[in-house]
Amino acid sequence: MRRTIVLLALIATPVLTAVQVLAADPPKPPAAAPTASAAPALHGLWLLTDYPSQTVRPGEVATIRFKLQNSGLAPETLAVSVDGVPAGWKIDVMGNGQPIAAAMAPINESVSLQLRVEVPKDAKPGSQNIVVHAKGSTQSIDLPMTLTIGKEVPAKLAIKTQLPSLIGTPKSSFDYTLSVTNDSGKEMTVALAAQSPGNFQTTFTEGYGTNEISSLPIDAGASKDIKVKVKPPAEVKAGDYPVLVKVSAEGATAEQKVTLQISGQGQLTLTSKDSRLSGEAQVGKTSEYTLIVSNDGTAAIDNVEMSGSVPADWKVEFNPKTLQNVAPNEKKEVKVSVTPSEKAIAGDYVASFRAGGRGDSKAADFRITVTTSTLWGIVGIGIIAIALLVLLGAVARFGRR
Amino acid sequence: MQREGSPFTGLGPVFIKELSDHLTSIRMLVLTLFVIVFGAFPVASSLQTLRTVVGADAYLYLRIFTIEPEQVPISFITALNFIIPLMAIGLGFDSVNSEFNRRTLSRVLSQPIYRDALLLGKFLGGLMTLAVGLLALWLIVFGAGLLLLGIPPRGVEVARAFGFLLVAIAYGGVWLSISMLFSVIFRSTATSALCALGMWLFFFILWPMIANAIVLGFAPREITSVDQYVGIQEFAIAIQRLSPGTLFSEALLGLLNPETRTLGFMLPTQMRGAIPNAPLPLDQSLLLIWPQVTGLIAGMIVVFAAAYVVFQREEVRA
Repeated sequence: MRRTIVLLALIATPVLTAVQVLAADPPKPPAAAPTASAAPALHGLWLLTDYPSQTVRPGEVATIRFKLQNSGLAPETLAVSVDGVPAGWKIDVMGNGQPIAAAMAPINESVSLQLRVEVPKDAKPGSQNIVVHAKGSTQSIDLPMTLTIGKEVPAKLAIKTQLPSLIGTPKSSFDYTLSVTNDSGKEMTVALAAQSPGNFQTTFTEGYGTNEISSLPIDAGASKDIKVKVKPPAEVKAGDYPVLVKVSAEGATAEQKVTLQISGQGQLTLTSKDSRLSGEAQVGKTSEYTLIVSNDGTAAIDNVEMSGSVPADWKVEFNPKTLQNVAPNEKKEVKVSVTPSEKAIAGDYVASFRAGGRGDSKAADFRITVTTSTLWGIVGIGIIAIALLVLLGAVARFGRR
Repeated sequence: MQREGSPFTGLGPVFIKELSDHLTSIRMLVLTLFVIVFGAFPVASSLQTLRTVVGADAYLYLRIFTIEPEQVPISFITALNFIIPLMAIGLGFDSVNSEFNRRTLSRVLSQPIYRDALLLGKFLGGLMTLAVGLLALWLIVFGAGLLLLGIPPRGVEVARAFGFLLVAIAYGGVWLSISMLFSVIFRSTATSALCALGMWLFFFILWPMIANAIVLGFAPREITSVDQYVGIQEFAIAIQRLSPGTLFSEALLGLLNPETRTLGFMLPTQMRGAIPNAPLPLDQSLLLIWPQVTGLIAGMIVVFAAAYVVFQREEVRA
């Protein structure tokens, strides 16, 4: 057993090394070429920062990023310290979120470091000069910086939308995408509000999210997309309705007006005169019912055509067959006459009536109880009477004394 | 030969005497037992089945009469269809010829009683006896229903069940008049009983087959149209309806199954748009079964009239 493992290891080692060599080798030439051609090799060790002169505010903590850059030198431990810290201030050197005292940069690489500057509340306006030292056994470098006590930049918000006006019906929902920008120097929690005409429902969601929100945090200088969904009430009349979307944070406000252009929509209802959807009809005889076609919507409906589906061999007629125009909140009567077939059997049947116009249509099921004629009942009584007459005739003819 | 006075003089005493004779006779006791055993068994089984039914049924009480229980493949109305004729024949087969054989007929007729009154009184006495028995059975069924189902019947159910009772009495009347006709025709009670029972068996066993044969004989070789097919079907039903049993069961179907829309043949197109299982109102159900009820009542009267004519022409002094 052990022997096989050793054997396997012996075989594997050369193979693995070969693979590693193959994998490591190819990238090297292209990587080496640019460094060789880019610039004459600049050897040295530097402390770098993007903004050597910065503004800090009293009572706040500022974080200043800097880095230790090593070009072409052997790595070395460098003790990092800060000189010239004003009285009452607290400045720490941080690396990776932890206070550090020394840093070591690999060849041709850099180490990111931060200065955590705690400015006292009572710091006087003016500039303070500090120097960051990095000191090793062979070399020592400095980074002088200027920190100016500055006034706070006022909070500022901006809001804008690409599509400020949408068109729809009272049934549709209006979605506006707005982009809110935080133009102030720090992160702010922005409260969202909308001023809409009565009974309009407005909800805010974040970008493509589904959760309803009332406020959202925005980083300094960043912008976020929010979506405002406006739902008008169903009975709203046609017209333009403005909705004012307001964002506010720490005294800064911004607003954007969006508009709903609501076009009217007709809505038909079909019922009978006493709202009863049932009736009676006699076999082979015409029965008349009164239907009410009304428009509960906000726009008129043209060319409302009445139609009906009834059992086979039944007849159905509407008077009038077509309604030219049904205005909103108008009720119109339509007489419908139903004639059950001669062969219809007593019982309950379904007749479906339908009013269809431009824009909307409605159907109503009508339950029709078909009754048969009582004629045959009378005939039956007649037959019994004839039988009794026969009996009486027999009594009269054969009666004995 | 004009007679004096009403032909119904003496009807009352004959009716009362006949009724009391029937109600006190051993034969009546046997018949009642027979009916109760035959009726109680399907009712008890159908009640057992109904007690396990969970769904709401607007006509639960009527189902006692109509459902076929799982244990016994016979419903209450099927049992009655079979047993009512037997009861009626048992009551009527010797009503006239036994008087004749006991030589009491001339003695009765020497009283101021017309033959008309005698025959009608005997018929009404028998019918009343039958009605009493059926009413008792009907009440037993309702009482058992109240006891075992625990809910009271609705008014419309009681009305329909009462209609059922009347139809059952009319059906019994048909067979009573048939058996009285034979008792008038034949002097021997055995012969008249045999003829009446033979008629009963004929209608129950032979008639359906004979009706089929007749329809087959009349039907064309090839059916080419729907109308032709409907015609044949309706002809077959019409022939079946010559049997009082068919009329009785159709009338009960219409009464006790309110969902029944028609008793005749129906094309599928006629069912288009119909709401299934919608019960008919009571008046429509009554209109539906009225021809059947008419047939039963008129048949009863006509057969009685025939018995009357035969009786009037008979020589009673023997």
